[in-house]
Amino acid sequence: MSQPLLEVRNLRTYLRSGGGEVKAVDDISFSIPKGQTFCLVGESGSGKSVSALSVIRLLPDGVASHPSGEILLNGQDLLTLDDPGIRAVRGLKIAMIFQEPMTSLNPVMSIGEQITEALQLHHPDMDDAEATERTIKALEQVQIPNAASRFRDYPHQLSGGQRQRVMIAMALACEPQLLIADEPTTALDVTVQAEILRLMRKLQDDTGMSMLFITHDFGVVAQMAHWVGVMQQGKLVEVGACQTVLRTPQHPYTQQLLAAVPENLAKPGRAAVGANPSVPEVVDLPPALADDENLSDSDRRLLSVLNRVGLRRQASQNAAQGEAEVDNLIQIRDLKVWFPIKKGVFRQTVDYVKAVDEVSLDIPRGEIVALVGESGCGKTTLGRAVLQLELPTAGSIRIDGQELTGLSARELRPLRRKMQIAFQDPQSSLNPRLLVETTLTEPMKVHGIGASHEQRIELAGQLLEDMQLSRESLWRYPHEFSGGQRQRIGLARALALNPEFVVCDEITSALDVSVQAEILQLLLDIRRRRNLTLLFITHNIGVVEYLSDRTVVMYKGTIVEEGLTAKVCGAPEHPYTQKLLSAVPRLVV
Amino acid sequence: MTKPVISRESFSARIWRKTLAGVGVKLGLAWVALLVFCAVFAPFLANSMPLLMSKGGAISAPVLQYLSVEDAWILASFFIALAVYRLNIDGGKQVLLFLLGSALAALLVNSFVKPPVLVIYDDFRGPAYMQVDWKLMPPIPYAPVDYLRDLGSKGLEAPFATEGHTHLMGTEENGADVLSRMIHACRISLSIGLIASGIALAIGIVVGGLMGYFSGVVDMLGMRLVEIFEDIPTLFLLLTFVAFFGRSLYMMMVIIGVTGWSGYARYVRQEFLKLRKQDYVQAAVASGLPLTSILFRHMLPNGVAPLLVAVSFGVAGAILSEATLSFLGLGVVDAPSWGAMLDQAVKSSTFNWWMAVFPGGSIFMTVFAYNLIGEAFRDAIDPRLSDKAGVKS
Repeated sequence: MSQPLLEVRNLRTYLRSGGGEVKAVDDISFSIPKGQTFCLVGESGSGKSVSALSVIRLLPDGVASHPSGEILLNGQDLLTLDDPGIRAVRGLKIAMIFQEPMTSLNPVMSIGEQITEALQLHHPDMDDAEATERTIKALEQVQIPNAASRFRDYPHQLSGGQRQRVMIAMALACEPQLLIADEPTTALDVTVQAEILRLMRKLQDDTGMSMLFITHDFGVVAQMAHWVGVMQQGKLVEVGACQTVLRTPQHPYTQQLLAAVPENLAKPGRAAVGANPSVPEVVDLPPALADDENLSDSDRRLLSVLNRVGLRRQASQNAAQGEAEVDNLIQIRDLKVWFPIKKGVFRQTVDYVKAVDEVSLDIPRGEIVALVGESGCGKTTLGRAVLQLELPTAGSIRIDGQELTGLSARELRPLRRKMQIAFQDPQSSLNPRLLVETTLTEPMKVHGIGASHEQRIELAGQLLEDMQLSRESLWRYPHEFSGGQRQRIGLARALALNPEFVVCDEITSALDVSVQAEILQLLLDIRRRRNLTLLFITHNIGVVEYLSDRTVVMYKGTIVEEGLTAKVCGAPEHPYTQKLLSAVPRLVV
Repeated sequence: MTKPVISRESFSARIWRKTLAGVGVKLGLAWVALLVFCAVFAPFLANSMPLLMSKGGAISAPVLQYLSVEDAWILASFFIALAVYRLNIDGGKQVLLFLLGSALAALLVNSFVKPPVLVIYDDFRGPAYMQVDWKLMPPIPYAPVDYLRDLGSKGLEAPFATEGHTHLMGTEENGADVLSRMIHACRISLSIGLIASGIALAIGIVVGGLMGYFSGVVDMLGMRLVEIFEDIPTLFLLLTFVAFFGRSLYMMMVIIGVTGWSGYARYVRQEFLKLRKQDYVQAAVASGLPLTSILFRHMLPNGVAPLLVAVSFGVAGAILSEATLSFLGLGVVDAPSWGAMLDQAVKSSTFNWWMAVFPGGSIFMTVFAYNLIGEAFRDAIDPRLSDKAGVKS
């Protein structure tokens, strides 16, 4: 191991919050050799970012304290530096890039000005012409096309990937020895991520800088790291060379994390896909309820309908096996969702954003169909349009043969219970003002499920237990739960009406990998027991391969490829699918 | 992990508990409670006639005999409100029951309470009321419009300056007791603030909510309506109406309410535009919940925070509007109001501090109290905020 550039010894960072102190970073030691990359991996809240911010001393003084530790950059302890001293290090010797490209650039300054400013700050004697020239060179270095002409562009004129390139250009303009990258590609599409990662590796080869790379994605680790540190609750539980840690993890936590990566998950659901769910499983009502003498008439009707559906389903599946005839629950024909762009005094429609353009798609009953594509390709719009949350411009959507488009809100209401949606963001998917109980029982009440309030509470409690949450959760507010728990509640709400079809819109994207694994296993389990049909919207190919029966790839509002998941992911035909799949950072090195 | 306390506390009960947790809000509520008490029991607190007296063995209650229709109705409504509050039913029904009861009380009172048409306050100090076995007078033995002519009051006497008669807050230019007038004026200030803001809030929430939820054409038309109403100068409209239709408290309330909703509508619209895109609202739509539930249960409580602060200022603003009108000499003639008293203070030739300080101070305190309550309410309605403050179980 060559002479380390950065050495962190016994670093502790305590953060004051409210009355107490949180040991955000608890006695970690690692070192980064010159020209190499050290990856810090861990789940959210494990202290990765705080470690990085400690190194560059960006934590506010009043909040953070360092009871012990040394951070040696070329032998100089950064923790003992005063303010002017650390300012001389920041930018010049250590630079940092952040996760969110949308907010890390100043929106009212052109990108050229921002880089020039950073340059002139650290090189006061540099004149404008030279600074401009260096800026353009830096932009060329990060492969911004036509760098000279984009000098005066503002951040909003650039795409997310380009903004992240500009951030990198800005960070590298002063040729730092150490680049700290805090989840630099998490907010980006997988194809863009692949380009950025390739760029960063190339720049490292060119300039010989070291990198402290923070990520939660083991695929990215495999691509970037020379050294890996795994963090758990502020402690560095395992440090080692990348290959060693990924191939033969020693610490149980590392093993657990690696096992939770979708590619490594055992696939218990596969065997059940072809099997005929028997009728009682389809109905899936608590036996006590089915036998209940006090059932209301509507409930009896519901039960009989469910039984009939189950029988028909069985019959149709038998038929499907015999004659290869597919029972499509959802049929989408020539669907268009166009958003008008309005301009001028009279708000004339000058053009349309064609979010979904001429899409036709069949979703077979009881299958999980994954809808993949990069951000802005229209996959979420398509999902919402199916549920009539977004009004289609043209085309037809049928559920169980029943046309959905053109129905009034009143006509749509009884159909709503057949189809539900679960959302991506655990922060905003539940009403913060309502008890979980209210969130779950209100739709039941509206649709006449359960004869009394007590019965609905009973059903809701059972639903939560199905989601592996305690019954007591009914009497709590959403903010008292973690992100993963909230996603379970969101799923419970979607299932409260006993729907046949659920759209899952990136429900695991905001979650840690181990929580994601739990949710995915839960989904397969529920699907098996309730014979649900799922439209699973995601950008994560690993999840697609783990979960779905069929895969649909969307690109710029249209479907470019669809078919069985094994076929689409194994032997993609469309060039875009090929590009998408090759961009996925794989764990296998 | 600590075991969560399982509570079946309703949403509104929880909000109340949290609202009441602070110190400032308790002071604010105490002040408003004092105002309510004064407003409801004004005739019993400050009046020239005895509460009870016994003359030749016959016990009578002159205050009750002279109770006006308005007094009786306010009293009845107050007790109906108390009774309804004790009932164990949900909030919406309580409000409905109260409104029904109050309307019924108004009808009954109107047909059964027949106070004497003419009240000569001097009589209460005459032999008919002085030569009694015993009598119980109100704490402040002066009616607000009793000008104490028989006592030879010169008017404009400073507090405690009059010999033989105690005037805690002095007397005004006509000789009436200032404290008595202050107490009776609570009614106008309280009712105009609450009713005018209530009207404005109701219109604002409905119009703003519909604009924000439906957006598009509804939003465009709604915004034009808002702009039209924002262009109406309320004070001049009030002046015009007063000039044409005479002075009426109820007209003032309606005008202040009907012209004052545009700000609330803007707030609600803004919040609803934001909330409409929230996933839990989308989920509510996807669950086929009725529009009223989506608007008022899933969206309004989440968008109500800025509204509450606006309302607390709105109540204060309505009180000030009435004070301004009264100050300009265009307020209600017969009943005293704080603004009118300030007006008197300014118009008198000498500076009499007690004429300005007490009504001015009360207006200030009331506005301040409403702001305190509004702020506490806003914090309580946000579960995240209140848990940070350590209220969490």
